[in-house]
Amino acid sequence: MVYFRLMFSNHFTFTKRQLGWLLLVGGIVVFVGIISIDLLDAGREGGIGPAQQLALAVSAGAALLGLTLIPLGDTPA
Amino acid sequence: MTIPSTSSSGLRTIHNILMTAALGLLVFYLVVYVVYAINLIQFPFDYDQGEGFELVDTILFSQGEWPYRDTETFPFYSSNYPPLFHVIAAPFVSLFGPGYWYGRLLGFLGTLVTAGAISYAVYREERHRGIAILAGLAYLASNTIYHIGPLFRQHASMVLFETVAVILLAHVNEVSNPRRRRMQLALGLGLIIAGGYTKQLAAITAIAAGLFLFIRQPRRAIFWGMAAGIVGAGIFVWMNIATNGEWWRQAILANVNELKIVQTIALFKQWFGLHGFLIIPAVLMVIYEVYFTRISIYVIWFVVAVSINGAASGTWGGGDSYFSTAIAATCILSGIFAARTLRGRWIFPDNYLSRWFKPVFGGRGRSIVQASVIVIPLLYLGYGRAVLHMPTEGVVFKEIATLFGIQANAMNGFYDSARTQDGQYATGYANIGHLVTADDVAAGWRIADMIRDEDRPVISEDAGFSLAAEKTVITNPTQLLNLEKKGLYSGAELVRMIDEQAFGMIVLRAQFYPQVVLLAISRAYEQGETITMNGFNYLILYPKAT
Repeated sequence: MVYFRLMFSNHFTFTKRQLGWLLLVGGIVVFVGIISIDLLDAGREGGIGPAQQLALAVSAGAALLGLTLIPLGDTPA
Repeated sequence: MTIPSTSSSGLRTIHNILMTAALGLLVFYLVVYVVYAINLIQFPFDYDQGEGFELVDTILFSQGEWPYRDTETFPFYSSNYPPLFHVIAAPFVSLFGPGYWYGRLLGFLGTLVTAGAISYAVYREERHRGIAILAGLAYLASNTIYHIGPLFRQHASMVLFETVAVILLAHVNEVSNPRRRRMQLALGLGLIIAGGYTKQLAAITAIAAGLFLFIRQPRRAIFWGMAAGIVGAGIFVWMNIATNGEWWRQAILANVNELKIVQTIALFKQWFGLHGFLIIPAVLMVIYEVYFTRISIYVIWFVVAVSINGAASGTWGGGDSYFSTAIAATCILSGIFAARTLRGRWIFPDNYLSRWFKPVFGGRGRSIVQASVIVIPLLYLGYGRAVLHMPTEGVVFKEIATLFGIQANAMNGFYDSARTQDGQYATGYANIGHLVTADDVAAGWRIADMIRDEDRPVISEDAGFSLAAEKTVITNPTQLLNLEKKGLYSGAELVRMIDEQAFGMIVLRAQFYPQVVLLAISRAYEQGETITMNGFNYLILYPKAT
């Protein structure tokens, strides 16, 4: 709660580390989500289509990018 | 043109020669562009498939009517494009009557303003006049921008709104005067809404601006994002109510098309092949900002435009024009990269990456800057060679083509580096860019006269012939096809009229009609003759004898 209050203050700006965590967690969630669609919707034919493959690549890329940003610390993004 | 003060006079001379050569080459493309625009502006028929339907939309707006209509009833017409470009052009209909020239002129002028805005953005960052001019000219020199700029189409105007919006928002967080900052935010976001109501693809610029504002100050991003969302959604709901839901059905539902990944890959390869000399510095700029300084709106815009619009270029109805926004962003980022390199203003703060490469490059900064004096203008020269396009016939152009051994690989004596020498090009690349001839104009009037002489209504795949003949424009084929692909089209009434031979003549070009309509045409009509205009064969069909 305190963090959200801080985040919506007039002076808050994302740091490289915070952006890195956002991209890492967001990328993993989206990646797992896309895979889950296929696992849960087992009756569907065709497997992972081209649009899904693109989305998987983008989400994996975002997670990797996030990982490399985390060590950059508190410099503003 | 400024070069580092540490450079020798010899280097300075070479730099000036190369910069002048790059400038000369890109100015040559500007001349080619102006020649092409003047040629097209005078052409009274469809040049690019679908231009005529944009003119029909404009005419309808000038009459106070919406172009989002029920396609199941006569004249089976609807538009799938947002309204703003046509609304802007509508007063010209009242003043001059239906015509292509004002829409093409608006599109052309829009690209010139966009190029000016790109130059301004680059100049504002690094104060390097020469590179700023090259960056703006590079936008106009792109094969894609060249061939879509002077068309009666909304795409170039959308990029104009997007580019100016992004430039306005780029430093909005640093504006200390609250009133001025709010004005700048309102104007920037307003232009993005304008872009979205010019063409739906501007949604990516809304995403980029939202991400940028959110990273810089989430509070401001949410407040202004909500305000812009309310305005945009309000317009959307009003249009939907005013058109009895046809806006949603025709412009949104029917516009979500299947992705052909082969086309996407082909167009990505082509985009890189043509613009690679500028894409590499733009990507280096992305890496620099992500790891060594603050991330600008230009970087986010570039990444979002390349990834989303680039992927969408492979959809039915997509094409190389979907890279236009990415090209504008590429020109800005590569321009900033080039100017900053020549200025020697790169700063690498201490972090795990700079600690890794400083031992490798440390102490060589001066050499790198001096090398850039040669490399940077060579980048623009290389780009100029990669995007080579010009007529190979006509005054001056023929002599230039002969001098450099350039042979036509497109229609009407035109060379386009986006094609192989035997004329092949990537799937989805627009088969345009050549100049039209007097024979094309004569062929167009011949078809228009045939339609005029016909007592019964006529279906023409290009609206221009019907408009020139002062006849009702019947159907918008590609929109019927869009609807059919989404299962939103029956076509019963149109098929009934075709079966009853209610139309005196049918003019086909690419046959982009729904299958059900094409089958009906083949049942009730037969080909009479073929007229070639602008390199395309127009099939003239008449009712079969019963």
